[in-house]
Amino acid sequence: MKSYFATAARALATTFHNVFRKPVTVEFPTVIRPRAERYRSSFALLHEEDGDEACIGCLQCERICPSQVISIKAGGKRESPISRKKRGYADDFVLDLNACIYCELCVQVCPTDAIVMTREPELPAYGREDLVLTMAKLYANEKSKQRAWGDATRLNGMQVPPKPPAAAKAPAATPAASPSGAAASAPAAPAGPSPAAASGATKPNSPAPAPAAPAGPSPAAASGATKPSSPAPAAASAAPGPSAPAPAAGGAQPAPTSTPPASTVSGSTAPVAATTGPAGTTASSGTPSSGTAGASAAGPSSPAPAGGGASATPTSEPASPAPAAGAGSSTGKTGEGAS
Amino acid sequence: MSDELVRGAFYSVLIVTVVLTATAMALWFERKFAARLQTRLGPTMVGPSGLLQPVADLLKLLQKEDIVPERADRKIFNLVPLLAALAALGAAAVVPFSPSVVASDLDVGVLYVLAVGAVTVIPVFGAGWASNNKLALLGGMRAVAQSISYEVPLLLSAMVPVILSGSLRLGTIVQTQADHHWFIVWPFFIGVPAFGIFLLAMLAEANRIPFDIPEAESELVAGVTTEYTGMKFAIFLMAEYIHTIVASAVGAALFLGGWDGPFRPGLHWMVLKTFLLFASVYWIRWSLLRFRADQLMRLCWRYLVPAGVILVAAAAVWVVLP
Repeated sequence: MKSYFATAARALATTFHNVFRKPVTVEFPTVIRPRAERYRSSFALLHEEDGDEACIGCLQCERICPSQVISIKAGGKRESPISRKKRGYADDFVLDLNACIYCELCVQVCPTDAIVMTREPELPAYGREDLVLTMAKLYANEKSKQRAWGDATRLNGMQVPPKPPAAAKAPAATPAASPSGAAASAPAAPAGPSPAAASGATKPNSPAPAPAAPAGPSPAAASGATKPSSPAPAAASAAPGPSAPAPAAGGAQPAPTSTPPASTVSGSTAPVAATTGPAGTTASSGTPSSGTAGASAAGPSSPAPAGGGASATPTSEPASPAPAAGAGSSTGKTGEGAS
Repeated sequence: MSDELVRGAFYSVLIVTVVLTATAMALWFERKFAARLQTRLGPTMVGPSGLLQPVADLLKLLQKEDIVPERADRKIFNLVPLLAALAALGAAAVVPFSPSVVASDLDVGVLYVLAVGAVTVIPVFGAGWASNNKLALLGGMRAVAQSISYEVPLLLSAMVPVILSGSLRLGTIVQTQADHHWFIVWPFFIGVPAFGIFLLAMLAEANRIPFDIPEAESELVAGVTTEYTGMKFAIFLMAEYIHTIVASAVGAALFLGGWDGPFRPGLHWMVLKTFLLFASVYWIRWSLLRFRADQLMRLCWRYLVPAGVILVAAAAVWVVLP
């Protein structure tokens, strides 16, 4: 009983003190608290700078969506009315916010930064149908709503470990000596006469393989091998993932057939230029096949020039132990330029 | 004779009106005050500072379906809310708001207040019984046990001012304090503990936290009011508020000197003191946790009743001493 009264007195003192404090309530409809920097709520589809739709209908967002709220009708490849290049389109794009969990994965996988989230805070609607974002609504949101912090380029960029400052531009000899901590995973690679095969083999299962590979005589292949796997989390999912390892193992023939999105991307200038990161990685993911297969596979399709580009750059590239989206994109651009 | 009748009727109507208005204000005040105790804002949307919230609440309750359980005792079920409100309101008749503003300053005012206050037990138990609901019945039985138990310390503590002033008339009790000292000031060693016991017993009588065992939400849903909806529930709620207001007024008259105070008319002081007591009831309500039933009984019979007896004896000795 005694301890009860002590506690009771303390409780009374606390509440009494509260009366003289400022209420913590924020009166919502009239006062809106500032949203966090990365607040996100709704979605928008974007256009390229030249006015073309950024979405290429690759269905990756539809595939990755955990609650399966995205349904896309891919329109197949056709000539862009603006850039006059052949590229994919989405004929219809519906995102049902009723079941959306706002995980932002669709934004992260988008190879062209076509889908982004918006900051518009209020989502309430009078009916469920109002929460179904049709293609028209999504494109309208591009203009009417403020964009959220992240798009695919930015979000994937965050997943890259920070670059060590040294040795980025070193010649071919140095990378073998100064790879980052990841070098341990493939110590044998640099000396090998045919590193391409070795690194190609390690690729599918080792998360950060063969940083030292470039020292080998066929740098093109090596760089091709390192790239797709090392920007690991983003690129692996962003690229036509499952197909990338396959050509590496299989050799020449799979390359052109298995990577249509990649070739599409590298084929049309616009998306690549606008969205350096993922597009670049996608392009580079096409290269390993050509690299592994040697020059012979390079012939038929666009991956070839990309591979060629890679062969030109590797001396500088491989030194960066974790070729990021940025590194990948530079390769992609070079390939573009070479073609 | 007829003059007195007219006067009584006039003040009755006046006091009923005032008390009912005060009840509506109390609803608003409790919500606002409880919010501030928890650093919230409380109602803000209905009228300025949410002042019209009681009206909105009432309108809401009026719209609700009036349900009587199928196997309930309809007559009693429908009657008891009114009885509860009447019993609570009846006690207000003898409260002296000022030397002149009192409906009926009975010779046995203190006795009357306690008796009418105790009558509330009957409608409460009736509600529990008539609802034909185990939770309501349990609540009703708890209410009876609690109210009857706390009747004793309440009576004992109320006896202290009666002995000190030598009268059962509330007007005389207040006048004695106005002539000498408030009983809480002198003799404070009797007045303060007696006031404390009165406050605790009053809380228990009004079924207020920390003594709201009869309607313990977490155990009994809503106790005796479980089956009540709409307007009948509102009347029960109102009865509880009236009970608290009247008990605060009686407490102010018995211990805090009633209408006595400097500078302002007596009515102002009485209202202020009643309000402060009322506010402290809600302060306690929103700060403390509920007692267990056995703790409640132990507090009553092992601490409050012996202390009350000692205080009554002490008051008697104090009066006899020169």
